[in-house]
Amino acid sequence: MAAESPSSVRKVVVHLRATGDAPILKQAKFKILGADKFAKVIDFLRRQLHQDTLFLYVNSAFSPSPDELVIDLYNNFGFDGKLVVNYACSMAWG
Amino acid sequence: MMDLLHWDGTLSAKDFRIGAVAFAQKWESLNFAFPPWVWVPCPKHPWLASPELLQEEGYLSMEKICISRLNEEDIDQTTQIDTDEEEASCSGNKDVIDDATLVQRNHHELHYYDFHIVYSNTFRVPVLYLRAYCSDGQPLQLDEIEKELPTCSSKELSKSKWTFITQEEHPHLKRPWYKLHPCGTGEWMKLLFLNDTAQPKFEVVLELYLLSWFSVVGQVVGLRIPFKMLNDR
Repeated sequence: MAAESPSSVRKVVVHLRATGDAPILKQAKFKILGADKFAKVIDFLRRQLHQDTLFLYVNSAFSPSPDELVIDLYNNFGFDGKLVVNYACSMAWG
Repeated sequence: MMDLLHWDGTLSAKDFRIGAVAFAQKWESLNFAFPPWVWVPCPKHPWLASPELLQEEGYLSMEKICISRLNEEDIDQTTQIDTDEEEASCSGNKDVIDDATLVQRNHHELHYYDFHIVYSNTFRVPVLYLRAYCSDGQPLQLDEIEKELPTCSSKELSKSKWTFITQEEHPHLKRPWYKLHPCGTGEWMKLLFLNDTAQPKFEVVLELYLLSWFSVVGQVVGLRIPFKMLNDR
């Protein structure tokens, strides 16, 4: 009998979508542990793009806090089995 | 009707008031962890302004907020220290430990924050003003506030000293407050709304504008918007 895996070990598909003049990733979709924080997505993208100033947001017009759990974001804002995260190389301040 | 494709992410003073009121209402009905945002009418020149303008001038205010800035490692550490102390001082005492009291005792003094959301006529966007003080009213300097900000904010602060948070005169109160720089705001506000596959109407954008805006600026000071507020649309 297949038991529902606990959310801590469940993996979430994150789809990173470039907007504006942000570079497009070779691999835009990847799996991440639901128990990971959103900060991990931000760090991953920073390393991939060698860009420190990134602006990440989800389609419901808000920017998630780095402390947010990926599984919570997926449960609230995911659809079609994935969490779409948009990113742009823009300065938030200044 | 405004064309969102060519919208630059900014608001008029009148739209700011509409958006601010919508945000405050939603906050009050769905965010029970915090006190409400209050609209403070604040005519600059009551003898000059038209009745319409009188109504529009103002800002949102949420005051005396006490936020625990301890990140998880700090909490673990504090609890650890507390447990040791408990064991050392009164071993065998099985009383329930009141964490809140313990954290407060170990953590120096409690600090309070006032937040104002003020409209900038120059940038045509909302701007977050804040000040912090001790329980006796003694104001905190930026370097003290910095210690209590989330890690990403303190990093940003050391990186861009003059373009992130600086002390400036509060446009309505004429007293020194700290201000989050608004130059980039229009740009990222536009992004937040333009990426939707279906273009929303401007009235819808206006309803959500301050909520979306606060999801970004709230992070700087460690204030999170509950998902319930973001889902309710």
